Amino acid sequence: MIARAVRSLWAAALLTVLILPTSVMGAQDLVSDALGHEDAGRNAQAIVAYRQLLNQALAGGENTDQIALALLGLERVYFSLAQRDSVLPVVQLVLRQRPADPIARGIQFRAFAASAQDAEVRMAFDEWRSAAGEDAAPWREYIRTLMAMGRPLAADSALADAQRALGRNAAFAGEAAQISATLERWTDAARAWRRTLPDMPWMEMAAAFSLQGAPVAARDSVRDVLLAPPIGLAPRRLLATVETGWGDARRGWAALSSVRSDDSATVAWQEFGERAEAMNQNSVARDVWRALYDRTGQADVGRRAAIAALASGDAAEALALATTIGPTLPPTDRVAQWLLIEVQALGELGRAAEAARRVQEADVQLSDGLREDVSRELVSAWLRSGDVERARAAAERAGTLDDDQVVGWLALYDGDLTLARRRLVRASQRDAALIDALAVLARTQVESHPGLGLAFLALARRDTADAIGRFALVADSLGDATPALLATAARLATQSTDSTRAVRYWERVVTDFVSSPEVPEALLELARAAARGGEMARATHHYETLIIDHPGSAMVPQARRELERLRGHVPELS
Amino acid sequence: MIRRWLTAAMLLCVLVANRPVGAQTLLVPMDDAQTNHLKAYGLAFQAIKTVRRAEWLLNYRGGAFLVPDAPDMRRRAALDGIRTEPVSDGDVARIRAEIAGGNMDAVVLERAPRVAIYRPKDQPPWDDAVTLALTYAGIDFESIWDDEVLNGELSEYDWVHLHHEDFTGQFNKLYLAYRDAPWFIAQRQRDEATAARFNLSNVPALKKAVADGIRQFVEKGGFLFAMCGATESLDLAIAAFAVDITGPFSDGTPIDTDADARMDWMRTFAFRNARIEASPYVNALSDIDGHQVNVPARRQPLGTFTLFDFSAKLDPVAAMLVQNHRTVIRDFFGVTTSFNKAVLKPGVTVLASEQGAPWVKYIHGDLGQGSWTFLGGHDPEDPQHAIGSAPTDLSMHPNSPAYRLILNNVLFPAAKKKPRKT
Repeated sequence: MIARAVRSLWAAALLTVLILPTSVMGAQDLVSDALGHEDAGRNAQAIVAYRQLLNQALAGGENTDQIALALLGLERVYFSLAQRDSVLPVVQLVLRQRPADPIARGIQFRAFAASAQDAEVRMAFDEWRSAAGEDAAPWREYIRTLMAMGRPLAADSALADAQRALGRNAAFAGEAAQISATLERWTDAARAWRRTLPDMPWMEMAAAFSLQGAPVAARDSVRDVLLAPPIGLAPRRLLATVETGWGDARRGWAALSSVRSDDSATVAWQEFGERAEAMNQNSVARDVWRALYDRTGQADVGRRAAIAALASGDAAEALALATTIGPTLPPTDRVAQWLLIEVQALGELGRAAEAARRVQEADVQLSDGLREDVSRELVSAWLRSGDVERARAAAERAGTLDDDQVVGWLALYDGDLTLARRRLVRASQRDAALIDALAVLARTQVESHPGLGLAFLALARRDTADAIGRFALVADSLGDATPALLATAARLATQSTDSTRAVRYWERVVTDFVSSPEVPEALLELARAAARGGEMARATHHYETLIIDHPGSAMVPQARRELERLRGHVPELS
Repeated sequence: MIRRWLTAAMLLCVLVANRPVGAQTLLVPMDDAQTNHLKAYGLAFQAIKTVRRAEWLLNYRGGAFLVPDAPDMRRRAALDGIRTEPVSDGDVARIRAEIAGGNMDAVVLERAPRVAIYRPKDQPPWDDAVTLALTYAGIDFESIWDDEVLNGELSEYDWVHLHHEDFTGQFNKLYLAYRDAPWFIAQRQRDEATAARFNLSNVPALKKAVADGIRQFVEKGGFLFAMCGATESLDLAIAAFAVDITGPFSDGTPIDTDADARMDWMRTFAFRNARIEASPYVNALSDIDGHQVNVPARRQPLGTFTLFDFSAKLDPVAAMLVQNHRTVIRDFFGVTTSFNKAVLKPGVTVLASEQGAPWVKYIHGDLGQGSWTFLGGHDPEDPQHAIGSAPTDLSMHPNSPAYRLILNNVLFPAAKKKPRKT
């Protein structure tokens, strides 16, 4: 008896020691204590701390934030312990005092749903509804829970009940949209999202996500709904997001670009431009930034438009922006922000002299880094203009004459094939042009050939027509490299849609150089040319010759696929 | 003169001696050595069609074929990327000895079946796995639709395939979601016009008549292969010959209240005692399908299905239908994905099922003088094929084990008939 009393006294003393320090702790201390334990994975201590916070909050009356914090913390911890239903007694404790507490009810619904206790979810909903009166919250939570349980048809019925009971259809537009999308009623889903978004813009990502799943056949009806007048930012922005997800950023921009100008539209355009940039949809990004620049007049936006224009191959637009915006800026800013763009654009347009003049004018304002970048661009600009000497001089000024790439290309344009071969093979940046050049150089022992240099120079000048003629002209004078040069000429002719010349060169490869490595490619291209011209029998013959006579060629799988398509054995590419 | 003759004779001897030893036959392996399983069926079909001779080596190297070693065979194999192995008479003898000693058999294929695919002239916005498979494999077929069936033209074919059609006449209950879609409107108008042409009151009546025509085709000795929704809806339409099981959106009248009780399951191919899904808002026809993909609250997840092993010597038909280089195959959804065991008729042969699941995937049976095979699911290589999805490019799946099941069905009517011994 005495021993029991002593034990009780010890227990009481221990409890006092354990409880006293925390009972006098403030709510903030308890919160940080609980979060600290949770973050450190000390789940048992976190539960104790959250329970203490909850008890203190319930004892103190209307401490709604603390109650919510404690309940959600307990839900997280129990979830991580895979004891989700252990939160239910705590929730009951709160609900006895606050039967319409939305946080407690939400946790209760989730716990029941996780263990598939349908009847309990329904019971909890009925209790909440009777406690909450005309509030739409119980209905919303119930509908969402049913959706989360994978029961959209039940959710659909609950939605109809809610609309009847409360007479407020608009209050459930978001839920209606979610349900329609889940049930693949795409037109209804689009209509519901259109109604919802003006009041609940934060639902936009959810809307985009739900409409993203619409199959091709249903997309036009989604478009019709979201494009219908009156034009509003929310539906147009939603459609732009959805179209981008469907892989058509251009169509997305078309939807968004006609929205009336205001601050919100500006933000939407900016976001869309950044998305287009991130997806490498450069021509779309160019149009977005250009439109935004026209609307805001901001120089940095114009610069983004120019950069996107250059990336999309629209040098003229980049230059137009540079010449419009540049003069409005202080000289140092103009040089720092626009000179490189101007030189690149002028170079692309073959106006190297103007580019050089611009660099010269800005010389005193150039930083070392910018000078190096601009000088490299200038070398390319002169080469594109076909002026090797000036390119060499620019390279000398830029200090790039020890660069393997620059020296190799200049040697090639001079016709010094030995030096070109030695230096280009060491070049660090390997692009398609370099690989083509190396392929030709590897096939010939000729040391010097100015004609071949001029052919490559024509290519650098983007004078494809001239390059085709020159490659074909020099082909026969380069021995083993003849089929390689004919193939180069033929590829260029194909790119410039000069099918007649391409076919002529490929046929020479097939006829005169039967054992050359270019033959499989020649057969493939001849087959494609014949198919384009509607000569199916001829195309089939070339494909079949490639497959039968060159079974080891890497082009055989491609030839088989194209032959299948030609015969209609596989679907057309969409 | 004599000298010239002697020279010619010697030359002939040299040529004969240098000829590949006994390479009179090509073995088309169908195990993992095969580079294009699907095209291999086309090669076997060509052999049957042109030289009326091929052999199907059941359970030998994945269900290999022996075809004559002719230049056009070699050429086609090369063009299609099919692996073939020239074998001598001695090799063939060794293969036959191996076959004789195990659960294997050689089935002679000697008559190319005349194949018809039941499909509309205007392409609906979904693909058809059989059309894709036959087209890719290079197997000839003709397309037929309601007019041909109702005009009695089915008798011109040995093998008929059905895919996605809803023979209950309810347009797969797509009315709710797609009633405004141009393709749906066109489909509806087309079927209503056909019904009027044949003096039938509505689309459900038209489809019931077509279903009955197909049933008669099998009864008289035809081979039927059905996939996806055609399996379930065909049997429902046959059982409901005198019952209204369709909602008012398809025939203007409500479903018969005692429809379930009045279904005549004696007439059906595979199912019995199924319950009709009466709600027009629930995208399912009955409880035949185990997966119910279009009813989100009932949808069951996809697993894998396992092909059963049959005795090649005692049960060659079933063995032919399951020849494959894989035994366990990834499942795929369709309007009807699987068949609940509870509604299968006694005597139906289960060819494949999902272990532990209450449904089966692939079934076969006889009706009258003919036979039928049902395979659940829509497109084996697009497990969740949706309306509007691009058709599957089979050149990306030349070794598809599930597509092989379809092609097994095409070749099986070519087999020289052997009575079932079990």
